[in-house]
Amino acid sequence: MFYSRGVCWSSGCEKQGDVSPVENHIHCDEGQPQTEEGSEAACPGISIVTDGFADSAPGDVSGGPASCEGEEHTHLDSQDTHLDSEDAHLDSEHTHLSAEQALDSASGEESQEDSGEFVAAMLARSRLEEQGLGVKGGSPPLADTGPSPPPPGLHRDEDVTADAWRAHRKHVFVLSEAGKPIYSRYGSEEALSSTMGVMMALVSFVQSGDNTIRSVHSDQHTVVFMQQGPLVLVSVSSSGQSEQQLRHELRYVYNQIVSMLTQASIARIFQHKKNYDLRRLLAGSEKILDGLLDLLDCDPSFLLSAVHCMPLASSLRDALSHVLQKAITPNLVFSILIAQGQLVTIVQERTVIEDARLEPADLHLLLNLIGASSAFQAGEIWTPICLPSFNPDCYFYAYISYLDPPSCSVCLLLLSTDKEAFYAVAECKRKIEEAMLAQNALAALAKARPYSATQVGVSDLRHFMYKPFDVPDNHRQLTQFTSPEMESPYSSEAEKTRLLDLYRDLHGRIHSTSRPLKLIYHVAERETLLAWVTSKFELYTCFSPLVTKASSINAITKLLRWIKKEEERLFIRYPPKYSTTPNPSRTRKAPEHDATDNGFLSLL
Amino acid sequence: MPEPAKMRKPDVKVVILGDMNVGKTSLLHRYTERKFKDTISTVGGAFFLKQWGPYNISIWDTAGREQFHGLGSMYCRGASAVILTYDVTNWQTLAELEDRFLSLTDTANSDCIYAIVGNKADLTDSGTHRAEPLDGQTEQEGVGTELQPTGGGVGGGDPAALLQKQVSQEDARALYNRVLRYKGMEDKACPPAERLCFETSAKTGYNVDELFETIFDMVLPSILKKRSQGTPSTIDLEECRVPKSTKAGCC
Ligand SMILES: Nc1nc2c(ncn2[C@@H]2O[C@H](COP(=O)(O)OP(=O)(O)O)[C@@H](O)[C@H]2O)c(=O)[nH]1
Ligand SMILES: [Mg+2]
Repeated sequence: MFYSRGVCWSSGCEKQGDVSPVENHIHCDEGQPQTEEGSEAACPGISIVTDGFADSAPGDVSGGPASCEGEEHTHLDSQDTHLDSEDAHLDSEHTHLSAEQALDSASGEESQEDSGEFVAAMLARSRLEEQGLGVKGGSPPLADTGPSPPPPGLHRDEDVTADAWRAHRKHVFVLSEAGKPIYSRYGSEEALSSTMGVMMALVSFVQSGDNTIRSVHSDQHTVVFMQQGPLVLVSVSSSGQSEQQLRHELRYVYNQIVSMLTQASIARIFQHKKNYDLRRLLAGSEKILDGLLDLLDCDPSFLLSAVHCMPLASSLRDALSHVLQKAITPNLVFSILIAQGQLVTIVQERTVIEDARLEPADLHLLLNLIGASSAFQAGEIWTPICLPSFNPDCYFYAYISYLDPPSCSVCLLLLSTDKEAFYAVAECKRKIEEAMLAQNALAALAKARPYSATQVGVSDLRHFMYKPFDVPDNHRQLTQFTSPEMESPYSSEAEKTRLLDLYRDLHGRIHSTSRPLKLIYHVAERETLLAWVTSKFELYTCFSPLVTKASSINAITKLLRWIKKEEERLFIRYPPKYSTTPNPSRTRKAPEHDATDNGFLSLL
Repeated sequence: MPEPAKMRKPDVKVVILGDMNVGKTSLLHRYTERKFKDTISTVGGAFFLKQWGPYNISIWDTAGREQFHGLGSMYCRGASAVILTYDVTNWQTLAELEDRFLSLTDTANSDCIYAIVGNKADLTDSGTHRAEPLDGQTEQEGVGTELQPTGGGVGGGDPAALLQKQVSQEDARALYNRVLRYKGMEDKACPPAERLCFETSAKTGYNVDELFETIFDMVLPSILKKRSQGTPSTIDLEECRVPKSTKAGCC
């Protein structure tokens, strides 16, 4: 399985000239590399990528000169050097590991106990040469775009013919198969109905040839199409993200819609009436989708498919879990405590934890929902909500309430399978509220803060994201990651976005379907980044540009030691459980509600 | 700090129904927070408790998708008042009240009070453009509006150009009377349409306090009756549960 993986060292230095800084990997089908778009000069115009026919190679409908294609297959982009086991040739300008070494190290890491020591050894073996700091052309995320988009807020009223509308970094459109607009991130759907009609025409045209359109690539933009049942989702992006990442984001958008309607209902609606205007059901929910798209742009949880946990003394976390564990009612299946948008603890019904688990993706949708409905800070919400990764066809009933009005940073989320259970579940909240008051836990929770990268005590380390895989199997817990606050020089929104773009770029290359990499050392203009994936973790680090390869190795060793030491505080180690079988102390006279018949199992 | 749990048992239930975007949440927000905010979205239903003298009134704000996921009857069960809300600039929203929302109120109390509320009056009537309504301002002003020519000729330079009013007070009152007929309550001593049809603006605050306070005053007898009959002044948890083995909301 490591066969196709390689190690890549890259630097931001580029050949002088007009080489497009945007590197386009184009995939026609998951896992099947097709073409790689090179510089503008080599391949002007637009290329459209579609799924292949059932068993032949993926087709390539290219608007550009057909002659591009042959060269693209073997094209190596100019700014980075890669080493795959297949094309293991050395390049005098850059550093490579040999294929053997890459394979060697890949198998070596399995047995390596201390990953910190391992990285040191591995990097040392590769006989690194120092690269000049990249100062010429910028790395992709630095690429400037044209006119700046209008200020946020009035997106619905935007003039869709204006340049500013076109200049948005990422558009997302949702339409029905009949070409009816359902959602547009910017501008009103009405104003865009002809645009969406054209998109649908494109989709249908390719479909009529028994094919599926997947993406369109131009110099500035990547357009990704995704069809999910009767819905078509389209992303038009100049963010430089990979097609895979954009597709991942579209899946979130689709899932958020499913979370409000369920997949089965969407299918039923369109079976019944092909040109149904789904906005009738989604009106008022646009803000939830707007909020999701904003989060996708600024919260790396989505990129990593992992949950960001609030760092907390394990004693406090345990105490809070215990409070949740004791406040139960029949059919309650998840109790979740959130502070400042980060997960504090999650308690699950015993049968749930055995049969399934809450996926990070579903929790992200829940967190977005909470964020979008902050108007209810004074009230208690009771809403049907579908968790698409758990079961796309069924509703849970979510109770959402803030525990600390008016500051509203601590939120309680209780999920039940019984739609009538509002008052019983609200009663659980009172119990939780009382217990937390008695233990002064709310005050302690209010003091919880994200940590700073300086706490790690590594001088050149500015920021990192660490996602461990080493969770004991039997816990089957949520995939989590830890990351410090983004501080200077990444405190402004623009700089935060720039750093995230750099991470996204590294992530895209690590997870590239055509040429996945295990290690990337990237010298950018204003910082140096190192991304590394092993069987135990995925790590992205950002250093000041003064770091050397040797010192970055050192720093990562120290960082991994620090995380190990702080593990208890940074992650939820042992997710607690409860059992909401009938509680004998309560007057509930329904012995038929046992663990196997609490309504929950019928969901599975 | 949160109030102690025992204080929070509601005496009576009020439900706000109506199509999405007519301004239900904005109305409630205006009434409880004295503010108008544009960035609110409703998911499902939101439960609020309002202290009204010695009584606790629970208010359910709904999303407008109730008949789709079937929670509407749960929100309405045992309600003493239902506020049916439409948008005065959108005829369809009035029609939807009858077509989609009225049937959800079948689980409300038999003596439930129904109010018909046309919101966004500020969009059609310059008289409601001012900020907070002055004390003593009455429905008179709202009543007069349908006679005003709207839309044409008003302030070309006005950034918030007035919209055509699509629903007149007469239409709303006619609906009120149809609601009573539907409920089989025409014969009972129900308040007349003039008292329970409102035009409001959550944006300016016009008529919002009047709406809620009229309704709260009208449900007082229902609270007193409940108390004197010795029925517990709480929402009965057991009663809310359907005795049959609850089927999870699988579709
Ligand atoms: N002009 C005007 N706009 C309003 C008024 N009430 C609500 N709105 C706007 O109408 C939209 C929908 O309001 P909202 O309260 O969310 O409606 P809901 O779906 O019924 O809860 C929002 O953009 C509000 O700002 C009003 O009285 N006047
Ligand atoms: Mg609302």
